Amino acid sequence: MGNPESQSKEPRSFGLQTPGTKGVRGTKRYAMVIDLRKCIGCMSCSVACKTEYGLPLGIWRTWVKVVDKGSYPTTKRVFMPRLCNHCDYPVCVRNCPTQATYKHEDGFVLQRYNRCIGCRTCMVACPYNARHLLPEKRTDGNLPRMVVDKCTFCIHRVKKGLVPSCVQACVGGARIFGDINDPQSEVARLVATETVTVLKPELGTSPSVFYIGGDWEIMDEPHSYTNRTHQVREEFNDFKRNHKGDAFADIVEGEPLMSEVANNWYGYLKTIPHKAKETLNAFKIFLFD
Amino acid sequence: MAEIRRREFLLASGTALAATALPDPAEAMELELGGKGFHQLRTFHPRVRSHFACTLCPYYDGGFTYAENGRIQKAEGNHEHVASRGKFCAKGLASFLGAYDPDRIVTPLKRVGPRGSGSWREITWEAAIAEVAAKVAEALGDPDAIVVNEGSSQDGVMSRFANSLGSGSIYRSCAPGLGGVAKQEALRRMVGVPFLLPDLERAKYVLNFGCNIMETALPLAQRLTDGMVNNRLKLVTFDVRMSNTAGRSHEWIPVFPGTDGFIALAMCQHILSKGLADKNFIETWTNTTVEKLLTDLAPYTPKKASEVSGVPEKTIKRLAVEFAKNHPATVYSMNGVTRRENGMDTEQACTLLAVITGNIDNEGGCCLPRQFQVGVPQPAPKPIGEQKVQLNHALPFQIQAKSRPVKVLFNHMSNPVYSAPAASMWREVLKDETLVPFIVDFTPFMSETSEWADLILPDVVAVERHDLVSAPTSLWPWISISAPTVKPMMQAQDVRETLKKIIDAVDADGQKGMKAFWSFTSAKQWVEQACAATPGMEKNYKKLLTKGFWPEHGKIDSADRAVVKGGEPLTPEYHTYRQSGFATPSGKIEVTIPQLQKNPKHDKLTNGQFVLATYKVAYHVLSMTSNLKYLAEIHHSNPLWINKQKAIAMGIRDGDLVRVTTTAGYLVTRAWLTNGIHPQVVGISTSVGRSSYGRVAKADPLTKPPAYAHAQLEDADIDDNVWWRDKGVNPNEIMPLAAASQHGEQAWNDTVVTVSLAEAGDVYGTIHVDNAKHVAIFKQLMG
Amino acid sequence: MEESVVTFNAFHHVAWGTTISVYFWLVGASAGSFVISSFGWVFGIKRYKPLTMTASVTAIIMLLIVPFLLTWDLGKPMRFIYLLIPGYWHSTGPMAWGTMLICLYPMSMIVYSYFVIQHNQTFARVFGIVAIVLALSTHWYTGVVMELNPGRFLNHTALAPLLFLTGAFISGIGLMNVIVTIRNLLVPAVKRYDWALIHEMSQFMMYGIVFDIFLLFLDFMQTTYGNQNEVMGHTVVLMQVFRFPYLWLELVIGLIIPLIILVTPLKRSLMGAFVASLLVAIGVYGMRVWWVMGGQYLQSFY
Ligand SMILES: Nc1nc2c(c(=O)[nH]1)N[C@H]1C(S)=C(S)[C@@H](COP(=O)(O)OP(=O)(O)OC[C@H]3O[C@@H](n4cnc5c(=O)[nH]c(N)nc54)[C@H](O)[C@@H]3O)O[C@H]1N2
Ligand SMILES: Nc1nc2c(c(=O)[nH]1)N[C@H]1C(S)=C(S)[C@@H](COP(=O)(O)OP(=O)(O)OC[C@H]3O[C@@H](n4cnc5c(=O)[nH]c(N)nc54)[C@H](O)[C@@H]3O)O[C@H]1N2
Ligand code: SF4
Ligand code: SF4
Ligand code: SF4
Ligand code: SF4
Ligand code: SF4
Ligand SMILES: [Mo]
Repeated sequence: MGNPESQSKEPRSFGLQTPGTKGVRGTKRYAMVIDLRKCIGCMSCSVACKTEYGLPLGIWRTWVKVVDKGSYPTTKRVFMPRLCNHCDYPVCVRNCPTQATYKHEDGFVLQRYNRCIGCRTCMVACPYNARHLLPEKRTDGNLPRMVVDKCTFCIHRVKKGLVPSCVQACVGGARIFGDINDPQSEVARLVATETVTVLKPELGTSPSVFYIGGDWEIMDEPHSYTNRTHQVREEFNDFKRNHKGDAFADIVEGEPLMSEVANNWYGYLKTIPHKAKETLNAFKIFLFD
Repeated sequence: MAEIRRREFLLASGTALAATALPDPAEAMELELGGKGFHQLRTFHPRVRSHFACTLCPYYDGGFTYAENGRIQKAEGNHEHVASRGKFCAKGLASFLGAYDPDRIVTPLKRVGPRGSGSWREITWEAAIAEVAAKVAEALGDPDAIVVNEGSSQDGVMSRFANSLGSGSIYRSCAPGLGGVAKQEALRRMVGVPFLLPDLERAKYVLNFGCNIMETALPLAQRLTDGMVNNRLKLVTFDVRMSNTAGRSHEWIPVFPGTDGFIALAMCQHILSKGLADKNFIETWTNTTVEKLLTDLAPYTPKKASEVSGVPEKTIKRLAVEFAKNHPATVYSMNGVTRRENGMDTEQACTLLAVITGNIDNEGGCCLPRQFQVGVPQPAPKPIGEQKVQLNHALPFQIQAKSRPVKVLFNHMSNPVYSAPAASMWREVLKDETLVPFIVDFTPFMSETSEWADLILPDVVAVERHDLVSAPTSLWPWISISAPTVKPMMQAQDVRETLKKIIDAVDADGQKGMKAFWSFTSAKQWVEQACAATPGMEKNYKKLLTKGFWPEHGKIDSADRAVVKGGEPLTPEYHTYRQSGFATPSGKIEVTIPQLQKNPKHDKLTNGQFVLATYKVAYHVLSMTSNLKYLAEIHHSNPLWINKQKAIAMGIRDGDLVRVTTTAGYLVTRAWLTNGIHPQVVGISTSVGRSSYGRVAKADPLTKPPAYAHAQLEDADIDDNVWWRDKGVNPNEIMPLAAASQHGEQAWNDTVVTVSLAEAGDVYGTIHVDNAKHVAIFKQLMG
Repeated sequence: MEESVVTFNAFHHVAWGTTISVYFWLVGASAGSFVISSFGWVFGIKRYKPLTMTASVTAIIMLLIVPFLLTWDLGKPMRFIYLLIPGYWHSTGPMAWGTMLICLYPMSMIVYSYFVIQHNQTFARVFGIVAIVLALSTHWYTGVVMELNPGRFLNHTALAPLLFLTGAFISGIGLMNVIVTIRNLLVPAVKRYDWALIHEMSQFMMYGIVFDIFLLFLDFMQTTYGNQNEVMGHTVVLMQVFRFPYLWLELVIGLIIPLIILVTPLKRSLMGAFVASLLVAIGVYGMRVWWVMGGQYLQSFY
């Protein structure tokens, strides 16, 4: 994890991957530690984040996965808050064709909504499901739509001297935020003194979200597919059936795959009219307004 | 969207964010935990902050709302508040959505067509007030025929209204304050106060009986996590199912329902017999002695407790010793043990554990509540008669039997057609115009109860309301204020102002002596007067407005959340009883060993029979939050929890449709097989299974908005993005009435149900209930 | 092992769907067709010269559909232009290269075709070489764009571009054979292409099929001996959810049956060659479906 301290700060090379800044002297590297021993699954973080950004339904910048473990009566419940890892080597940034997503020099991985074309390459690239396409319809139509969005580590708050919204709201006090390159910071102290894990370390993304007390099963990707309850399965099917319209390749389990493919095709065609309208609107505004 | 101008378009496309977010690195050295709010893109756009004390649940956390252009954009906890310490639960955070709920009622509505037909006509406030006043004037000859269902508002304005009119017919679907009557009464008799606050941050050991602290008691939950990690306390939770709290506890002890008291008493006995009790405390501060306790407790052996509860004797003994040896230790208990037939006894039994180990009002123990007694504007009318809290849920039966004549029924902040037991009876009675000639509901939302009203008068929602509250959630007393800066949405009007107008119309010349109690001009002034009537706050109203709470005991350390004064962590004052004793007649803790009974209904459960636990989840407050989209998205369905092994033995698989049958009827839902529930218990969460409130609550975004909805509140997100279609099932329709003989409250958690695979023709969500059976149960109950 | 179940999770979409899989198929078929077109003028195999224009026009048409498909698949269609703005261009993003290729490849084909019409052997050859490199690159890139996602275990394999290219080669030939057969049946006898060409192309296709099966076998080995995710990718995604496109459409219909036809005397009949070609062209679409949608399937539950 991280780079050797000796590495000097390289200038951000244009068009290329921003060099990792974790542990690099003279740079800031904002990071989050999530102390799972303190997480109570209240989902205040998710709701705080949703209200902070007026996020549409069906979309999460942060969410809490819940796993029940063990057999009766020695059963336990495990919570796992998830969000963008603000990777030091973000695949999403690497793969974006327009530099719409980029790594801020202080470690935030951010989105330029005005540059994003909505190609979703970055969604395919992100190993953590941290990205989503904003739907066409949302409460405040003046906020970005039909472009990709993600957790911003609340840079608009951090710049103003506030912790991120989810950290502010965290009832258990499980989320700790700060500059990991500053040895005095709480995050640096925790990462140095506690046993921390990151998600999918083998992918070389070097995440900046560290977990204390991580449980391997809840962090494991295949587990979340194989070990679902009927309830979660049904909910997911509902989600895939009813949260469409943007040409996503969602497959409702238990239905014939090829009819799902056809459905998917229909979903694509369905988006064209509103995209066309949107496009015309944009022209009108620029030309006549 | 046609009105988007070029500048907005640029904003929408994110140019503004890029311009502000890109070049300058985040400069802040120490990040602050709250108190300010900014727009995600327009960071230069200031947000207006108001003080907001969340009143969705009785913990009343202090916080803020942030508004932009007169519209609230965000709510959060007040980071300087000694109790909330900046934290709101998911419900509190989402509360402001209620103000902009597209299905919200924002104008007075008058019913057209038959009751419950769902057709409404907007009328003016003047016409509405005149109509109510006329009905009230008619009923004045028989004032008790004016019935008020007070609900969970905490300022007593509905009682004041009834009493002003000379009526003592006040009902409550719930008792505001923590723990309900059973807990409050038990504690009052024993220690002289209605509540004991566990000092969770400083305890070494916590025994939790039937409280889902991490989901329902958020101000305590944050202290619990601090204690668990910083102080390495051990948490043991007794619950019939694995709530979040049980699942995060060091030990979850699944008990047979209603037997916690036996375990608590057996633990007491074991502690006493091992000589681990605090003899000194018992002899000095209670009305009993170790010897007497030992004789009184003789019947409650760990062996017996083990037999009734199913918890191994060894475990009971071990926990008893651990609890006694880990000083300080604390005990907390709630609905799981109190909302049942033996609720008061069990509460006393649990508290006895703290008493015999001397864990009363000590650091890390069970502390006496520290709280302001919030006053009401003076003069206030005298209460008429005794408040009939006991017979709450009997009201519809009494109305039907005509033993309680009703001319006008006022409902406020309560939703009995969903939340009360025998909910279907409420519906039947409210439907009948001969039984209840006129129904007025003061509500911002179309609840299952509002559907039956003749007149709906739109009340404000929590974030728009002026309030003054205090709760014993911290070891330092506090009082907080809600002082909104946004105006109530459209024509919504604070119920206090509405009631005042009704009184003014009824008693226009003041001759009837009612007007004297309604001298305030606005809700804001009500709060000022209430403050003036609060002991210790008489002249402090202005101070409340600076921080939103008072007094300021110290600063909250952002790292470990301790209260710090002058650089030193502040220690609360403990052992307060040493000065003046306990508030009991003897001045000491009055111990009576309860005669515990196991509910006889639970004695011989046959193979398909279970005890039903209905419980609350962290993401809803009974009906208050039903239509709030972010909460409904997290929790919208409530499959039947059933023990996995047991279900498999019964031939029930995960997701199978099952019938849950009570003595009054049955419902059809899906089984959720889990390892997290006692084999003789099934569980259904409350708050979902809505037939009203709106498109979100009903998981039905495709229907047209109701006729009374206003275009101004439209939310494209709800029209398009509500993805779930399962709305759950309400268990209360088939919930038989069960008034506990000791305290008169519904014994929610004693209900016995039969679970079987669904039969041909059963569809998910079916509820079949026979009100005649509800009536028979009621008659049997009344003897 | 202890029981452990997920009881709550947020849900996620699979970002790329049918559009992308159709696009991959089109680009593949186009590249394959173009290879045929280049036989005569670039590689100097005279007997293929008559086929050149048909092949090249097919390739161009296939590729002209692509921009429409892709543009309207974007969240912000008109912003496709950003892909072409130098200041926005991102050298590490495979799609940035892909855009260049998708723009240059049809242009080079058009220029090539122009010189073919002009019977300008030298320039036709020069631009033919350019176009063939671009054709291969365009399709190679579709493999790369999926491969360079380390989190998508089924796609993250160096075999990806090769699988795509082989698929392109056989589906292109298959498509050509189908078009040529139909054309031959419609036009007067004098204008017909030599039936022998079809048999010869089928022969090439057969080598391609064998190589494709070999690649799939390599992939099968890697996934079954792979890490947990790869194994799940094979057992759950390919053998269960995407069983139809993977096992039936691609492997059986698209490869094995045609192979059987092409190694038995059936290949000598016109019908045999036609059926084999048609099946290959269709079967490759199965691969595009599981490759695009299946690769992302598992993670959407995570
Ligand atoms: N999120 C949320 N918080 C709330 C509220 C809300 O609606 N939502 N409402 C507020 C109000 S009004 C109240 S009264 C409180 C209630 O707060 P709680 O008492 O914590 O809530 P309940 O869910 O009613 O019951 C608690 C637990 O009792 C368990 N239980 C049932 N039977 C038994 C038993 O025999 N023994 C034991 N040991 N446990 C048993 C249930 O499984 C459940 O987990 O919460 C307050 N806070
Ligand atoms: N099965 C089962 N049933 C239960 C329980 C259980 O554990 N299991 N718990 C019981 C308990 S502990 C309680 S406290 C009761 C609660 O039951 P009730 O006291 O009936 O409370 P709610 O159902 O939340 O209804 C509150 C009503 O107030 C409306 N409202 C919300 N905000 C405002 C506002 O600002 N102004 C006005 N005027 N109205 C508003 C809401 O729309 C709703 O209709 O439920 C009980 N019901
Ligand atoms: S978690 Fe995903 S979106 Fe976030 S930086 Fe890493 S790769 Fe990018
Ligand atoms: S969707 Fe936007 S951010 Fe993502 S890769 Fe495409 S242009 Fe970049
Ligand atoms: S850091 Fe901000 S954007 Fe990211 S999850 Fe937390 S609240 Fe949401
Ligand atoms: S707010 Fe904190 S304690 Fe609550 S679920 Fe989120 S991370 Fe866990
Ligand atoms: S726990 Fe939640 S609902 Fe209750 S007062 Fe606090 S913020 Fe409000
Ligand atoms: Mo309650």
